[in-house]
Amino acid sequence: MDIYAIQAVHGLVYGMLLFLVASGLTLVFGMMGVLNLAHAAFYMLGAYFAYTITIHLGNFWLGLILAPLIVGAIGIGIEHFSLRKVHKSGHVAELLLTFGLFYVIGELVRIFWGSNPLRIPVPGLLLGEIPFMGKTYPIYRIFIIGFSFVILIGMALLLLKTRIGIIIRAAVSDADMVEALGANVPRVFMAVFGGGAALAAVAGVIAAPFLSTYPGMGLDVLLDCFVVIVVGGFGSLLGAFITSLLLGELQSFGVLWIPRLALVFQFVLMAVVLIVRPTGLFGEKQ
Amino acid sequence: MNRVAAIKVTGGTLTCLFLLLLPILLPEIQVHLATEILIFALFAVSFNLLLGYSGLLPFGHAACFGVGAYATALILKSVTGMPFLMTILISAVSGFAAALIIGFFCVRLSGGYFALISLAFQMFLYAVALKWRDVTGGDDGMSVTRPEFYLPGVGTLPLTNIHYLYYITLVIVALATVACYLFLKTPLGNAAICIRENATRASFLGYDVFLTRLIMFSFSGLLAGISGALFVVFQEFVATNVLDVHMSFTVLLMATIGGTGHFLGPVLGAAFFMVFQDWISSVTKHWLLFMGIVFVIVVLYAEGGLIELFKWERMRVLFVRNKEL
Repeated sequence: MDIYAIQAVHGLVYGMLLFLVASGLTLVFGMMGVLNLAHAAFYMLGAYFAYTITIHLGNFWLGLILAPLIVGAIGIGIEHFSLRKVHKSGHVAELLLTFGLFYVIGELVRIFWGSNPLRIPVPGLLLGEIPFMGKTYPIYRIFIIGFSFVILIGMALLLLKTRIGIIIRAAVSDADMVEALGANVPRVFMAVFGGGAALAAVAGVIAAPFLSTYPGMGLDVLLDCFVVIVVGGFGSLLGAFITSLLLGELQSFGVLWIPRLALVFQFVLMAVVLIVRPTGLFGEKQ
Repeated sequence: MNRVAAIKVTGGTLTCLFLLLLPILLPEIQVHLATEILIFALFAVSFNLLLGYSGLLPFGHAACFGVGAYATALILKSVTGMPFLMTILISAVSGFAAALIIGFFCVRLSGGYFALISLAFQMFLYAVALKWRDVTGGDDGMSVTRPEFYLPGVGTLPLTNIHYLYYITLVIVALATVACYLFLKTPLGNAAICIRENATRASFLGYDVFLTRLIMFSFSGLLAGISGALFVVFQEFVATNVLDVHMSFTVLLMATIGGTGHFLGPVLGAAFFMVFQDWISSVTKHWLLFMGIVFVIVVLYAEGGLIELFKWERMRVLFVRNKEL
């Protein structure tokens, strides 16, 4: 029984991380129809910036604050100076652009930080393990769950209770109409893009001591994120949340039970959902 | 004959001559590169049937390439005495069959949805190739020996000789490319372009959007299967890399850099990609960075791709006397 509980918590840790990355992706897609491949690069950049800050300043928490800010600024820059320019050329051009940026950022990371995995030490405060179901469990992973949960609550409050949240949600369902009603949708979109990038970076920072930092981490999480937003429904935050947790558990138990098929699971799930219900579990009509 | 046609014919003839004499003109190492360019040119052309002519962007186009590659590898490994062209034909048919099945589920969707579901199928095949070790060799791959080609009246030509392999590849790629060009000139090809421009309108005009896209997708899979087969013969080796994301992304880079708006754009893109890669990887190991930068610049500032540089409107200045301008 213990092993199942431990695996379930493992799955929850990865699921929460995945949600932090996927939430920005799904909001950006919902608002502008842009499937932002560079999003995974923001996740990776977050981890690498945090590594440098932690090594040089010796403080993990400083990295957790500064890295998302830097990455958020980079995200805003990318939206303002490149993505906006190709918007008129249609979605395929936008896809191609973010795809190219994903490649460029990935290679820049290799140049500056090298190709070997880097490890950020777990901050002293969160070292050690706590007893859990008769065994012990690392405190740091509990922290990941707790911290992601706090961000989740914050994001829910922002989206449900504030004026800008209302505008964002309205723009997800019909951007043109919201613009006609007088909201500055391009500016809101820029903010969402930057915010999403920062969130992805937060996920990268807190994942780094646990999954280690390596140049392929962007692509790995990107593929999982695709599954999350497709299965959850493009633009649906609730769908992304539920699917993230589901996928986390699926991988966690998949590795335990049928390791030979663990790689296939998520893609079969994605294909089946797209075939049976192309809008995803919680998505609205295309 | 007017001037435009004359220049086109001259350019075309010179290119053909160059391709035919290439093994004599260039050292052997360059013949290897040229063979690889030809293979990827066909792959990129098949990709452009979707992105350029059907307006569909697949992230998983390596699926059909990989199926063709594995089909050839398995034949070369387990069946002795199979004629070479038969091997290629079977690989083409397997690429076609794979595309028919994948396309059946994919082509109802478009944009990001289409991109992702095609990626899902490719990743699925990748996982199968990785895990089904008994048949595919997993990530160790399988090495194969290049077969012999029997040419009536001449005798058997061992393809281990790169010159023979180059000419066989040239003929197959040329025939496939011409077939593709003619295919696009049929009413079906026109219907595909019409659907790319406006699917709703096309369906009201009576075109079957689903069927047209499915045929385009399957034909594209057929060509990709052929290029995958040639790739295995060229490499004398097959591994999961023929089915992975990077293969899909490579062909996407090639086609877009070359230009998706023109039939020959992807061919130019493939040539540019391979030559650029060959050159710059001797200078820096971060060649992908420069490829990525070229790609971003093309998407941002030169939507038509490199082929735009060769468009008649630009060449005009060089060839036409002032008073005619």
